[in-house]
Amino acid sequence: MSLKNILTPFIAWGNITKDPVTVKDPLNERPGAERYRGFHKNDIETCIGCGTCEDICENQAIDLVPVDGIETKDGDSGLRPMVDYGRCCWCALCVDICTTGSLTLSNEYTWVSEDADDFRFIPGVDKKSWDDNEKGWKKPEGNYEFYGTKRVHMPELHAEDRDKSFIEFVTGYSKQQAEEEADRCVECGICVATCPAHMGIPEYISAIRNNDLEEGLRILYDTNPLPEICGRICTHKCEEVCSVGHNGDPLSIRWLKRYIADQNPSEKYKEILNSENVENNGKKVAIIGSGPSGLSAAYYLSLIGYECTIYEKLPEAGGMMRYGIPEYRLPYDQIDKDIDYILSLGVKIEYNVNIGTDITLDKLKTDYDAVFAGTGLHLGRSTRIPGSDHKDVFFATDLLREISLGKEIQVSEKIIVIGGGNVAMDITRSLARLQNNKFGKVDTTATSLESEDIMPADREEVVEAREEKAIIDPGWGPTSIEIENDKVKGLHVQKCLSVFDESGRFSPKFDEKNTKFFEADMIVESIGQGMDIEYISKETRDQIKFDQRGRIQVNEYFQTGAKWLFIGGDIIQGPDVIHGIANGHKAAIGIDKFINQNG
Amino acid sequence: MDNIFDDIQKRFEITDIVKQDKNLNFLTCKKELTVSLITHLKNIEGFSHFVLLTAVDWIEDEKFQLTYILNNPDKRIDIGIRTYIDRGTATMDTAHHLWEHVATYQRELKEMFGIDFPGSPRVDEQFILEGWDDIPPYRRDFDTLKYAEETFFPREGRKSNDPAEYMKKKLYPDEEK
Repeated sequence: MSLKNILTPFIAWGNITKDPVTVKDPLNERPGAERYRGFHKNDIETCIGCGTCEDICENQAIDLVPVDGIETKDGDSGLRPMVDYGRCCWCALCVDICTTGSLTLSNEYTWVSEDADDFRFIPGVDKKSWDDNEKGWKKPEGNYEFYGTKRVHMPELHAEDRDKSFIEFVTGYSKQQAEEEADRCVECGICVATCPAHMGIPEYISAIRNNDLEEGLRILYDTNPLPEICGRICTHKCEEVCSVGHNGDPLSIRWLKRYIADQNPSEKYKEILNSENVENNGKKVAIIGSGPSGLSAAYYLSLIGYECTIYEKLPEAGGMMRYGIPEYRLPYDQIDKDIDYILSLGVKIEYNVNIGTDITLDKLKTDYDAVFAGTGLHLGRSTRIPGSDHKDVFFATDLLREISLGKEIQVSEKIIVIGGGNVAMDITRSLARLQNNKFGKVDTTATSLESEDIMPADREEVVEAREEKAIIDPGWGPTSIEIENDKVKGLHVQKCLSVFDESGRFSPKFDEKNTKFFEADMIVESIGQGMDIEYISKETRDQIKFDQRGRIQVNEYFQTGAKWLFIGGDIIQGPDVIHGIANGHKAAIGIDKFINQNG
Repeated sequence: MDNIFDDIQKRFEITDIVKQDKNLNFLTCKKELTVSLITHLKNIEGFSHFVLLTAVDWIEDEKFQLTYILNNPDKRIDIGIRTYIDRGTATMDTAHHLWEHVATYQRELKEMFGIDFPGSPRVDEQFILEGWDDIPPYRRDFDTLKYAEETFFPREGRKSNDPAEYMKKKLYPDEEK
């Protein structure tokens, strides 16, 4: 043994006075690093239960479970993630994909319990000591996204290229654009409940991703037989609850629907939708009105063998879709594409027939096994302010219908539109185009009770109207129309302070001292529409229930107290196309049940 | 640290210098020059401590990224050397001759990613995955979920809900299609 070997153990004693390089006190707290990935935290008020955390988890560690006190409502499933720490590998993919940013990881990584089931809990609901721990893993800021947060811009004509004509200005997605937009969808399905027709939205978006547009069309027609139309003018409430919209732009669900419909040629519809051989069941249903609810009822009834005849008051089919929505938003050939396919299934339309005068409703009751009425809201409502009965004061619905019928309407140099909804924007933009053609300039102003933030019109309608040089001046209540020498001089208004009372009822309040005068030589009222049910005889009307406000009461199948009569569409719900479609579909199911029960 | 880069930039064709913080920099080097660069950093620039070697599977680019982290204890600075190797052949020069414990990291990468380091001691021996018979589990084409389903039994009492189906049940239960 050498001297070195003997001395070496004692050399270590030389370190006895030096500071240790290891961390002191290993028995007490050992906090995780600032961004350590420890136990989950969830802000349950922000979480919407979309389930993307569950979908992305590679270990199936997450279940979505109901939680007491969290309500299921539009945009929130009411479910919350429960984590099984027997499977969690702390990768934090669930945090990184979280659409609302509610899910995070604390940096707490030690926790002792003898019960294995304790290691399965609902973060944010089952209280834990680390719930207020600010440290840990959060989704990094910046460009770290698992899905695109910006929507693919929909190409459209510039204002100066569209403001003189009624050509369609939204040009539609290309294949690449549609696939890129579809790729942003996280397929959570939160939107489905909000869509009145409960369309299979994630499924048809997935079909775009898979470039299987025939499958996409089949999914659309499961719940909606008017996809070209809805793909253009649907009120797209689904987009308002889109989970991707919590941290970016919501999916362009409407434009993606349009893409599927646009890409499938009409001559292949029957083959794709497997409707070439529909057997007639010998039963007949009369449908009054060829608007969305009537067409939808006719489509779903004809698929199960009913012989459907639609009675239409006007010379062409479509109802408000053709006679209420301007051609620049919804071209007539696209309306025809949807309707022609429904007609190809054997649905008949009798045009220019007025129920009540040309044929009575009771006659239809006798000749058919059931009747569906979707006669819509075509009567304009008046403000009834002084001067509103002047001949140069019009209803928007009347003017829009006349334009669609190809008739020449009065177009004055200075026009005021009263109303802040989509119909008001439609007539404002239509009149702006006609003024531009006639006078080379636009002088149309729309004013509404509602202030800018609560205008019922879609935001893009307001933006586009302004692009087309119309003026939108919201937040004013009309008081009178000034008439001088039998000519309209303008509209007096006062500032509207609020529209609804605390309980949400319509009860506008005004500042009478804050007034304004809009000069105009023509005024259009667009404050809502009413129904015309003169065609329903008194005897039948006596069987129908009405509520205190005169609205018709129907059951879940849109069946009235007169069992053979089903009523749907704008009269009952909406007003919009997608409610009409959903109503027609449900009514078709109800009519089938009713007829089968009656043998 | 900048003077180190000036010196090695031309000699080792380094690119993509990322100054993560004042004591930590990353750089990228060609596969062929990486071990030479590490040798230079150890012997000439004082990065005498090997901290770790790790990998990332960039499956879309058909590459593995290797990252060597070295420490200079005198200057208290770290340097990360990144290099990219072909995912198909998945072979890299060994660096165990510089520090013995590099062999352990290389053995781990062989097991977890299937990256070979010919000549590295015990590189083919099992590391922690005893009896592993699937593709290396850190490769991105390894289906963790499928493996878990086939290998482990599910915990009793677990039940999940699809948001869309659950919302239908709660909000419009009677609707038929």
